[in-house]
Amino acid sequence: MMKKPHQPGSLQVTKIVISLIAVLFISACASVPAPTEQIAISNEAVKNANSAGSSEFAPVQFRSAMGKMEAANRAMQEKKYALARQLSEQAQVDAQLALEMTRAAKAQKASDALQEDNRVLRQEIDRKTK
Amino acid sequence: MKKYISLALTLLGFSILAGCATPKNDQLADAHHSYNNAAINPQVTNLAALELKDADNTLNKADYALVNGESTENVNHLAYLAKQKVMIAEEAAKRKTAELAVTNATASRNLTRLQARTAEADDAKQQVANIQETADQQALALAAANARAARDQEIIAQQDVLLKELNARKTKRGLVVTLGDVLFNTNKAQLKSSGTRSMQKLADFLNKYPQHKVLIEGYTDSSGSESLNQKLSERRAETVRNTLGSMGISNERIGTQGYGEMYPIVANDTAANRQMNRRVEIILSDESGNIGKR
Repeated sequence: MMKKPHQPGSLQVTKIVISLIAVLFISACASVPAPTEQIAISNEAVKNANSAGSSEFAPVQFRSAMGKMEAANRAMQEKKYALARQLSEQAQVDAQLALEMTRAAKAQKASDALQEDNRVLRQEIDRKTK
Repeated sequence: MKKYISLALTLLGFSILAGCATPKNDQLADAHHSYNNAAINPQVTNLAALELKDADNTLNKADYALVNGESTENVNHLAYLAKQKVMIAEEAAKRKTAELAVTNATASRNLTRLQARTAEADDAKQQVANIQETADQQALALAAANARAARDQEIIAQQDVLLKELNARKTKRGLVVTLGDVLFNTNKAQLKSSGTRSMQKLADFLNKYPQHKVLIEGYTDSSGSESLNQKLSERRAETVRNTLGSMGISNERIGTQGYGEMYPIVANDTAANRQMNRRVEIILSDESGNIGKR
């Protein structure tokens, strides 16, 4: 009987506590639904940023979005839905920022090129008419 | 004393309340700072109002979460979203500014091209006008030259007609009009009326062409004394000069010379030949008034 150090009463208490904790966990899990829609939205945002060429024009923001998206997907598999929602939301804004930066950089490039063209054209005309 | 204590307690209570009302979160404060910077940028408020509004909404959610005592992690999350959205608004404003510049630059380019085309067209038009003007001037000059040539031709034709009427001969000294002996009274210096008519034609010519001068030379045959013949030839030349003078030709244009028996045209062997040698020759000068010497 040396193998029974615990009293039956304390064992009971421990069991109850463990069950309570388990219930709490389950209820926590149940209160946060899987953010399937958010994940889809974020995936779409990352895809858009990628096809716009953000890896070239906004590499930091784009990598951040990619990393967070992967982490969100992992969290989904592990059923850590609250974490998955947060990560995917952040991935979405990061991807959106990367996309906007890419579009801004491209627009600026086009603007610069046109202005340079105009300058050259004006110069050519001025020379011709002289 | 009691009053002071209660005042101090009230102040303490306020400060505790105030502390509770504004819980601290560095990331949220940072997000607010970013937002405030963007909100005073007219480029962002004008061109990215929607994006900025979205950032503002998220910022409010973060504030609300902080006040409601939600977890720091959740507040940080919302603050991060807000901050990223502020940056999105700023980038959107940059993009739209650049897009506007592209639109303006395209318009400006089209305008510049138009100006260039207009300048080229004007230039070409000017060149055509210049060529036309040159052609017009050449045509005018040609017409003037033709008119001059025609006038010269006419003058020459008129002169020819007059000279023909005068029975002028072309010699190396110039045109020579010979008044035969028959036009003078025998052994006299007086002109017959037929001789006067001949002179009138010459006077008409000289009046019409004032640049011409004449030299009048008198000749006789060999009959009679030499001195008499010399005098007769001189007088006959003088008579012609006076006749022309009476017809309005000034003396300055008329030279006279008597040669007597010298320079006969034919031998003085028959009466007919002698009559040919009795004559007055009138030599017309060229247009400069020169007369070839004998």
